[in-house]
Amino acid sequence: MNDTVSTAALDEWMRTFARLVAENKEALTDLDAAIGDGDHGENMDRGMRAAVQALDDTRPSTASALFNKVGMTLISTVGGASGPLFGTLFLRIGAALGDTSEVSLSQLATALHAGLDGIVARGKAEAGDKTIYDALAPAVQALETAATDGAHTADALRAALAAAENGRDATTPMLARKGRASYLGERSVGHQDPGATSIALLIAAATPAPA
Amino acid sequence: MATSRDDSAGSLVGLVVVSHSWALARAAVALASEMVHDRPVRMAVAAGLDEVTLGTDAVRIKQAIDEVDSPAGVVVLMDLGSAVLSAELALDLLEDPDVRDRVVLSAAPLVEGLVVAAVAAAGGAGRKEVAAEAHNALMGKAAHLSGPADTSSASPNYAGPDAELLATFTVANAHGLHARPAARLVGEVRGLDAQVRLRNVTSGAGPVPAASLSRVATLAALRGHEVEILASGPQASEAIDHLLALADRHFDEPLDGAPSPLVASHTGPLPASPGIAIGRVRKLSFASPAADRAAPTGDPVTEWRRVVEAMADVRREIERIRSVAAREVGPQEARIFDAHLMLLGDAEVLADVRQRVNAGAAAATAWAAALAVVEKQWSDLPDPYLRARAEDVRAVGAQMLAALSGAPSATMTGSGILVANELTPAQAAELDRDTVHGIVLAYGSPSSHAAILARSRGIPALVAAGAGVLRLAEGTSIVIDGSTGELVIDPPAATLTRFQQRAAELAQHETEQRAVAGEPALTLDGTHIEVAANVGSFGDAHEAAACGADGAGLVRTEFLFLNRDRAPDIQEQVAEYVGIADALGGRRSTLRTLDVGGDKPLTYLPMPVEENPFLGQRGIRLQLDRPELLLDQLVAICQAARKGPTSVMFPMLSTVGELREARRLLIEAAGPGGLPEGLRVGMMVEVPAAALKIATFLPELDFISIGTNDLTQYTLAAERGNAAVAGLSDALDPGVLQLIRHVCQAAASTVPVASTVPVGSTVPVGSTVPVGSAVPVAVCGEAAADQLAIPVLLGLGVRELSVSPRAVPTVKARVRGLDLARCTSLALAALELDDGASVRQLVSSSLPA
Repeated sequence: MNDTVSTAALDEWMRTFARLVAENKEALTDLDAAIGDGDHGENMDRGMRAAVQALDDTRPSTASALFNKVGMTLISTVGGASGPLFGTLFLRIGAALGDTSEVSLSQLATALHAGLDGIVARGKAEAGDKTIYDALAPAVQALETAATDGAHTADALRAALAAAENGRDATTPMLARKGRASYLGERSVGHQDPGATSIALLIAAATPAPA
Repeated sequence: MATSRDDSAGSLVGLVVVSHSWALARAAVALASEMVHDRPVRMAVAAGLDEVTLGTDAVRIKQAIDEVDSPAGVVVLMDLGSAVLSAELALDLLEDPDVRDRVVLSAAPLVEGLVVAAVAAAGGAGRKEVAAEAHNALMGKAAHLSGPADTSSASPNYAGPDAELLATFTVANAHGLHARPAARLVGEVRGLDAQVRLRNVTSGAGPVPAASLSRVATLAALRGHEVEILASGPQASEAIDHLLALADRHFDEPLDGAPSPLVASHTGPLPASPGIAIGRVRKLSFASPAADRAAPTGDPVTEWRRVVEAMADVRREIERIRSVAAREVGPQEARIFDAHLMLLGDAEVLADVRQRVNAGAAAATAWAAALAVVEKQWSDLPDPYLRARAEDVRAVGAQMLAALSGAPSATMTGSGILVANELTPAQAAELDRDTVHGIVLAYGSPSSHAAILARSRGIPALVAAGAGVLRLAEGTSIVIDGSTGELVIDPPAATLTRFQQRAAELAQHETEQRAVAGEPALTLDGTHIEVAANVGSFGDAHEAAACGADGAGLVRTEFLFLNRDRAPDIQEQVAEYVGIADALGGRRSTLRTLDVGGDKPLTYLPMPVEENPFLGQRGIRLQLDRPELLLDQLVAICQAARKGPTSVMFPMLSTVGELREARRLLIEAAGPGGLPEGLRVGMMVEVPAAALKIATFLPELDFISIGTNDLTQYTLAAERGNAAVAGLSDALDPGVLQLIRHVCQAAASTVPVASTVPVGSTVPVGSTVPVGSAVPVAVCGEAAADQLAIPVLLGLGVRELSVSPRAVPTVKARVRGLDLARCTSLALAALELDDGASVRQLVSSSLPA
């Protein structure tokens, strides 16, 4: 049974996320160039590289230490709005998980929800604003529903990924109301939100390939 | 890195500069440091990921806050986007909650805000003050650049959208976000430290600054429209909460529509000045000064000062009318004046005016042009109701123009019956009987200045008719009866005939009384009662003589001083006083020295705005405080007194000390030759304390004139302009009558000594003297012309009545029908009664008019 997640698995999640970000760096930057300042891929890659380096250096043994390290590193290295937003996300996840080394699905769902709340508090984003919220919120909801239904963690994560990717795709026709993209007004319509794209990568990093 | 670690900076607010760019932040700090070289302010930079990589870092911001923190606190300024998010996150990262509490994140623009914040911090301002200063840093630039014609882009984006809070509401008000609800909205926003913008989501209009009424109106937000609120700044969330709550309350307006029904008033029209008027509705139109009419232009500084001063005047006036409206019709109705006040203080309009003044325009021209722009914007709105609100702009604009030009504030659109919300004393004073055949006021009371002046001019008037009358179309045919309070709109032929007959009867009766008006008024028992006239102008004096007045018992000299830029000089005053005396044909003229105060302010005699001007510095109180005006006036009065029989009296005395000081100035004004022969010196009794202490004044007096209007309002603590307490404010209240009796009794038992005994010497109080040589007591208030009051006043010992010129014939007629002995017993009985109404009943039944 792999229905709890170990600290090592969480550590692996972050490393996988770093890898996916690195692989999609150009794509993310292109998305951002269309409606923002064109640095999202670069920034996220720089931040996640630094985070992996920090994990290598410190080898955190608990979930809270792990996410705290990732969060603080992103805050100091990303530079753009994603720094405080992803930083807040991981700090809140870490705080919610506490000093556990085995995390259940419902704990994970609760922690991600806390992270989502942190992002809302920080960025004041709402559904439909064309932000990372639009991918993260459906993912969290899918995870919570699956947890309530007693689903297996792997299935729950697959459902979350599907929700995140749907959410990501839904940002394309939206009119940006937050961040630099909102300066563009109508011209932001027709472009996928890079932040939401990164969130989909984050969920994908946790999701095992279909069985 | 803190640029200064000087210990002297420890007590000052520290500043943190957050930017994506290290170079930008360093340069901004250098710029700001130039402003504060003598007082080192701690400024720390948290910018860029390193010296070349753009980005922001919450950890670095937290460190910077720690570096410049002191008990005085820290203000953080930031550029945009992630800078805002990172700064907020930095607050979360601070370990010490005390430190967190004293950090203020400023929504100010980075460069402008930093410069201003540094100056404020160097000056020792607290963190909130520093933040507020920074917050306002953009105002100067915005005011300088915002052109009125550019309605969409002129609104400065005070902070990056990332810092903005967002909410929407749906307009439920029947007429949309028109002037009144918009004014409530603007008022709510102005009190908060937040930049708030509004966008009409439904129509796409905006965003416009929510603090500008003129701009909010351009959203043309109708019922059902969705309006988006964008708020930033320290109190952004409060602003959102307040506005949503306000929208929820439909902006404190009944949902079924703002306009009040036609002719809605608590009391309905009240009779205010007798007589019948038949004619067409006329409104006041405000002169729109064409540019060529504008006064010679001063330098921009002078012109701008004129704008500011005129605004203060107009604000005072609007506030006054608003309180009258609130009292008499209700707070709902008074909101329109809130809208007017908002327009007056509208930052966008002012910026435009200022720009025009700076470009060399005269104050009036600049104001007219700026308002024309707003008016145009409103007139172009698609909704007819909102479009009609352009009227509000016109009303305010006209008041400002009047204040700026010092000209008569308004003129009638043609001859007929004037319909207005209320008349200022100045407007009422200028009413021309040849064109104003009647007056209908939405507000006001029968004892307001406007009503008094209408009576004195013989213009039939109704007051408190309700706001509905303001919606009567120009030119509508109406009939009013100022004796009964009747108001008929579009009268049928039969009604018209009935009123015409009534008017003819009145005219006939008046002619008869006038025929004998020139004869002295003797009571049935042969006592001579002086019936004089209250005079407010040269024309009044002619009228007084024509109506058979025995003299002028009260010359209100203030009408010589109102509505002008500077006080009349001595020559002008002498000419006016002598002119009045000439018009009176050798009859005695009683000049009251300038009686102004907060309710009748003079532009050239600045007075503090008083919460209660009627209990403030008015009459002699103001004169003794600024004696130059009084001294000039007394010089003029002395000169006039050498040419004809003249009396002088001082208003609003409370203590004999005031009278002695006034007399000292009079003697100084008279010069070495001493007081002119025949100049009699008297006082007004208006303050209850003066009435009760009258014995202390008597040694200094030749005569007394009781101002029953003020004496009544002070005795009953009921303001005479307030319709709600009009019932209380009755000069026939036994409380007032007892004061009058006390004055008459004390005056009857004293020899008049004032002009023959040196100042300061006294005569034993209570020495018995023949009544014939006592100090005479007159009444110059409204009661003197009141048919029911006359017998009571005579019974109490009053021997002179001073009334409006046109009332002289009827007052004389009344006196001739009275027997003094019966009046005396009637007055004694009246003193025992409960209230004014009982006294009126008593008189009506025993000595009907």
